[in-house]
Amino acid sequence: MISHQEERSGYEQSSLLRIAWVVLAASSVMLSKPVMAAEYTVVGDSNTYLRMKTTVDKNDLYPLYEYLRFSVSVAEKDGSATSLHLGAWGRADLGDKSTNDRVDGDLQYGFISYQGAKNNLVLNAGRQFVTEGVATERIDGLYVRNDLAAGFAAAAFIGSPVVTDPIGRLSGGEFIYGGRLSQGKPGLYSVGLSALKSNGENDSRDREEQGLDLWVHPLQQLDITGRSSYNSITSGWMEHAYTISVAPLDTLTISADLSRVNYEDYFFNVTTSAFSLINGTSGIISPDEELTTAGIAAAWSPTKNVTVAADYKNYSYDLAGDADYFGGRVAFVLPDSLSAGLSVHRMEGATDRLRYSEYRLYALKKLGAVDLAADLFNVSYDKSINGVKDSFALTGSAGYRFNEKLRVWADLEYSQSPDFDNELRGLVKVAYAFDMKRSEGGGNSEK
Amino acid sequence: MKNKFLILLMMPLLVSVLFACANTNSAPRVHPEAVTGTPNCTECHTDSWAAMNHQAVDFFEKHSIFASNARRACASCHAESFCADCHANKEEIKPSDKYKDSPQRWLPHRGDYLSQHRIDGRINPASCVKCHGRQNNERCVTCHK
Repeated sequence: MISHQEERSGYEQSSLLRIAWVVLAASSVMLSKPVMAAEYTVVGDSNTYLRMKTTVDKNDLYPLYEYLRFSVSVAEKDGSATSLHLGAWGRADLGDKSTNDRVDGDLQYGFISYQGAKNNLVLNAGRQFVTEGVATERIDGLYVRNDLAAGFAAAAFIGSPVVTDPIGRLSGGEFIYGGRLSQGKPGLYSVGLSALKSNGENDSRDREEQGLDLWVHPLQQLDITGRSSYNSITSGWMEHAYTISVAPLDTLTISADLSRVNYEDYFFNVTTSAFSLINGTSGIISPDEELTTAGIAAAWSPTKNVTVAADYKNYSYDLAGDADYFGGRVAFVLPDSLSAGLSVHRMEGATDRLRYSEYRLYALKKLGAVDLAADLFNVSYDKSINGVKDSFALTGSAGYRFNEKLRVWADLEYSQSPDFDNELRGLVKVAYAFDMKRSEGGGNSEK
Repeated sequence: MKNKFLILLMMPLLVSVLFACANTNSAPRVHPEAVTGTPNCTECHTDSWAAMNHQAVDFFEKHSIFASNARRACASCHAESFCADCHANKEEIKPSDKYKDSPQRWLPHRGDYLSQHRIDGRINPASCVKCHGRQNNERCVTCHK
């Protein structure tokens, strides 16, 4: 007899093997095509991190991480493209064990994609992140999307949900499928209807969700977005969340939002006990709670370099006491030279834990090939927690750019908190880009 | 019964017609202009793309709607790894630690988050679920058995 965790582990391994075969087969096809292609691009980067810290029980931790990501794309002259995307990380503990496993890692994504020249056709196969209405899922499977006539568009996905189930008794489902049908007029509006269904072992109903989403942009100065999602297993609305944004001036934006979350429907079948509903003696989240939030925020940019913003949000609960969160921030930017910011916020709630002030001050200065940064984050509690009133982290860091491809960065963070008297942590990062250039003058940003 | 049969017959036909008559141009795979830093899309765009202004106060709240409606537009600048930094199956380095070289970016869990997560979890646990409800929660079990 094998445990649920062992079963799941075996299932994940077989899924990974299937993905590996798909990716290898797809790579072979792609690599045989460049002669016919108009454009052949390889983009990738390697980020190596060495973290350093000492735990409360005097263990010296030196976990070494390698994040490797790359994509290969073959663009045809007709505008279509086939691409392969891979991203994974691995960790080895050079000192004491940082988790239960001295060596660990994860395939974050690995899929082959075909993007059509017309109708925004996308066909993906492999481990991927799907964002379609109610679905914000990582799956091992297939995804297809295509524009239809009359402003309609359709998307569908099917596969195995990639979930973590660390305690082996909160099922994340074995099989998931769903889709989204939308209709809209470019530049004016888009309305989408979406659904997902996830089954567990023995066809148990893990998740059945339906949703409505909208994006309305009737004027350049007005933008309305929102979604409602419904849980048909619990027969209740999980969430409504709507935002309206107004830009009365080029230099001023104002945003207001309203949301409501029904805990019993929203937290149904999560895979961590941290968010599981109270059931007898287990669980943390009260199924009878409902949260309503209402917020407003405004940002004013008197010059291109300066932004001044203020925000307010009210949290109203059916059971727990209410809270207000409000504050402001100032940001200053000189492109390729200096970024600096200051923010101050206050949480004013019904309980001691929900009465605190939050401060942040940061600066990033570029001096040729050298970057210097400082960051202070402080939370000051009205009533001390474990005898500590101020929880702060002060970080100083420096980086050196050897060339366009290679960069080294190191930071040192000192913190005091209700959980740690004095904590010192270090991190060294080596970033290497294989090729960050597009072959025909394309753009990159926060890759 | 007859009505259901007709609906089942008509739906694929309708979808086939809509598919056959579709004729839109796909969004560009690569953004035509190089973009650096946190872009203000209103500097060039006056249509709905302007709403994706990354400097707007509500961009973070709205980014999931844009990801649903215009994922190809996101992909014209962002690699797949950009999503995976936060929406990961399994992750051990929090984004604000991974990118201490970019303090100007909005990144979750700055400072000592061990203490603060108890407060944020009480304030709005639903905001945690998109990244930690079904994924990336192995560390939770250290305390939450």
